Amino acid sequence: MSDPASAVVFDPAAVFPEVTTVRAALAARDWGAVRRVLDAATPVARTTLIRIGSEGDHLEDFLRYVVGADPNDTAAVAMLGNHLIEVGWNIRSDARAEHVSRQQFDSFHDWLRRAEVVLLDGVARRPDDPTLWAVRLISARGLGLGLAETRRRYGKLAALDPNHLPGQWQFLQGLCPKWGGSWAELQRWCRETMLAAPPGALQAGLVADGHIERWLDAGGGAQGVAYLRGDVVRAEIYEAAQRSIWHPGFSREHGWVDVASSFAFLFAMLEDQAATGAVFRLLGNVATELPWSYLAGDDPAGHIRQTREWALSGSGVTR
Amino acid sequence: MIKQTSIDGVPVLLAPTTGPARAGLAFRVGYADEPLARHGITHLVEHLALHSVGVADYHYNGATGAEFTYFHMQGGEAEIAAFLNGVCASLRNLPMHRLAVEKELLQAEANGRTPGVAEPMAIWRHGARDYGLSGYPEWGLPAITEDELRDWVARYFTRENAVLWVAGDAIPADLRLDLPAGVRMAAPRPSSALPVTPAFFPGSSGVVVWDAAVPRSTAAGIFASVLERVMFRELRQDAGLSYTVQTDYQTLGRDSAIVTAVADSLPEKQGAVLGAFVDVLATMRVGRIDPADVTAVVNKRIESLRHAEDVAARLPAQAFNLLTGRAVEEMEQAVAESRAVTVADVAEVAARAWSTGLVMAPNRADWAGFTAAPAGSDTAVAGHQFLFQAEPADRLIVAPDGVSLITGDGVSTVRHAECVLVRAWPDGARQLIGPDGTVIRVEPTLLADGARAVAAVDGGIRPGIRVYQPARDPRQVPQPQGQVQPVATPAPVSSHDRTVGLLGLIFFWPLVVFFGALTALFAIGALADSEDRGIVIGLTVFCAAVTAGGVFGVRRSARRRRG
Repeated sequence: MSDPASAVVFDPAAVFPEVTTVRAALAARDWGAVRRVLDAATPVARTTLIRIGSEGDHLEDFLRYVVGADPNDTAAVAMLGNHLIEVGWNIRSDARAEHVSRQQFDSFHDWLRRAEVVLLDGVARRPDDPTLWAVRLISARGLGLGLAETRRRYGKLAALDPNHLPGQWQFLQGLCPKWGGSWAELQRWCRETMLAAPPGALQAGLVADGHIERWLDAGGGAQGVAYLRGDVVRAEIYEAAQRSIWHPGFSREHGWVDVASSFAFLFAMLEDQAATGAVFRLLGNVATELPWSYLAGDDPAGHIRQTREWALSGSGVTR
Repeated sequence: MIKQTSIDGVPVLLAPTTGPARAGLAFRVGYADEPLARHGITHLVEHLALHSVGVADYHYNGATGAEFTYFHMQGGEAEIAAFLNGVCASLRNLPMHRLAVEKELLQAEANGRTPGVAEPMAIWRHGARDYGLSGYPEWGLPAITEDELRDWVARYFTRENAVLWVAGDAIPADLRLDLPAGVRMAAPRPSSALPVTPAFFPGSSGVVVWDAAVPRSTAAGIFASVLERVMFRELRQDAGLSYTVQTDYQTLGRDSAIVTAVADSLPEKQGAVLGAFVDVLATMRVGRIDPADVTAVVNKRIESLRHAEDVAARLPAQAFNLLTGRAVEEMEQAVAESRAVTVADVAEVAARAWSTGLVMAPNRADWAGFTAAPAGSDTAVAGHQFLFQAEPADRLIVAPDGVSLITGDGVSTVRHAECVLVRAWPDGARQLIGPDGTVIRVEPTLLADGARAVAAVDGGIRPGIRVYQPARDPRQVPQPQGQVQPVATPAPVSSHDRTVGLLGLIFFWPLVVFFGALTALFAIGALADSEDRGIVIGLTVFCAAVTAGGVFGVRRSARRRRG
């Protein structure tokens, strides 16, 4: 890791310096300083920063105090809600449902319910805050509220901000069959959302992520790769790349590292060494754990390092 | 102006009308006063009292609600006097030779009605007592004796417990209200079967029903109407989740009220109806209410009040006010009170309503802060255990002090000292109902030692609560592993269906008894405008909703509470 060439940096602060500011302000329990960053951010950046901020430990009391002092401060409401969800999800773990104990599920749901109560009050006060709806998409999924409620919440978000990527990622998850959706609807929605966004926007990444979800559902590995290599899917992946990472106007808004990581992953699966290399050059040493953590071995950094080496060397074998 | 006077010791409310003359004699008695084991006795008195009046004239009717029973007539002075004099004479001397026939007619009326989706609400909120009785069929009818009827009349159909209203120029000259002396009977205190609120219980698919207990006030009535406007916008217009949304405000006794909201759901969207509804409620709770909504509701209400005043249609409600110990409210006073209601007042009601809410939804509502309403009992009695033939894990426990049923779903216990009704069939089947609505069904054919179990259960039953049922069709007697439904379900045939429309679909047959009567009454006053909900439907649908019994609700509830 000390060799910069082999470094894999997951911390978003490496790309977005305001992440550091938010973390420091939270550590200092200086909500005013947090708000200064959030208030200056775009809606998507704000949602992302609130999510990243909420990942800190022992924030509940502080955030409850802030919300108690001003229930209309929905940045604090959203961060508190997200934090409670985060705590719950850590208890649940990312394991597949059959590996999660009854007790873990009960506790998980309990935390999500606490989050919902907080978020409900927030959305009652400020229904025009897109972050709240984005966070409510996470709790809706965790609580199994179903696709109809998930759609309703996403509809509220899309009416406020049709290109709210953090919420769109959540909605994409909700559209997966494992959460009650269907592949047909998911893929239709991903494509429509991509086409509705301006060229160069990050929404093309939803098409990539939709295919990754289906690859995963197909069992990952060779079976999943067969799915990705189908003509139609393959063409869609390249089309999406042309509309985003390879577009001259490719957005560097929050989320671009995630989008580029998804494409790097897909091109590697498709064994397109040149394309994979091009995405890694775009990324430098930054990355996101997903979708690499979907690969066996629980070592996303290792997978990235290995794949990057192959892609940039012009020789070698993936995986 | 409503003039207050009296005749033969009965208070009278007299008001001029631009429409035809009418009069109504109301008593402070209704279903909520009945024990479940005599449920139907007030309705039976009403029917018997009207029988003698004759059948030719269709301008009269009677109605039995939760808290009030009244007899109403439209016509000339002489006709009104003859009608009400006849009612009083009948009450003095009920035509008991009609008893069996009237019981049968009431049974048929009950069998012919369509149960409404909102019915289980009253049982889950109140249990099997007072206002919870609106969720039950008139199960007491078979047991009611002549003496019990006389006692009931002597207690409730008295001049001290009556109010007469007259829409016209004067009290008919020949009117003589020859009623026995008695005392004014206060409306029962609403019981609660909910240890914690807000609460939820699982209901049928396709509809979300919510209700809440609030202090009776003008603001609460306005809250109900504003809620409906917001629900209509949010659930129907914006999100396309519901076709029908409706709210109502129904007073309960002297000082309380119940606000109810119903939203149906379009297929595939039902999971979102609860979410959208909860959002609406939370929005109102925090006071984010469009002042234009409040203004629109207030204006409509005032318009209705003025219109009602012109045709003396406010009289019944004012008579009911008087009967529950409230003062008669003049129209201008009601108008002023409506005008004074602010957004903050409405938000305050919403906050209160949130905290006392009960929701019935297809899905769980715990995520929204609602607690599961108790569906079973905390403890079982200690006694002899009877095994089931086909359910090795289940037990019926019979003890001197009560009966418990233990199944995989939990424990249900009915203690004899509290048991409110035991329905008994000749084949040995028993249905015990506890005050909280817990149902235990004992089917001897399903038990290993059925006859002994039934004998043991019978040994503990308090006198007066057993109601014998007619023999069942043998096909309705359940068999082990059999698929036969044990509950006698009346055929869903109703001559009223066509008239109730959507409202009826949701609020079942309320339109049949009290509603039918009251609507007719108000419609006479040319108040049929459906926009006058605050006044007309508020009074009617829910008088009626609380009036009606419910096979559907009881069956669901029985299942829910392990019948």
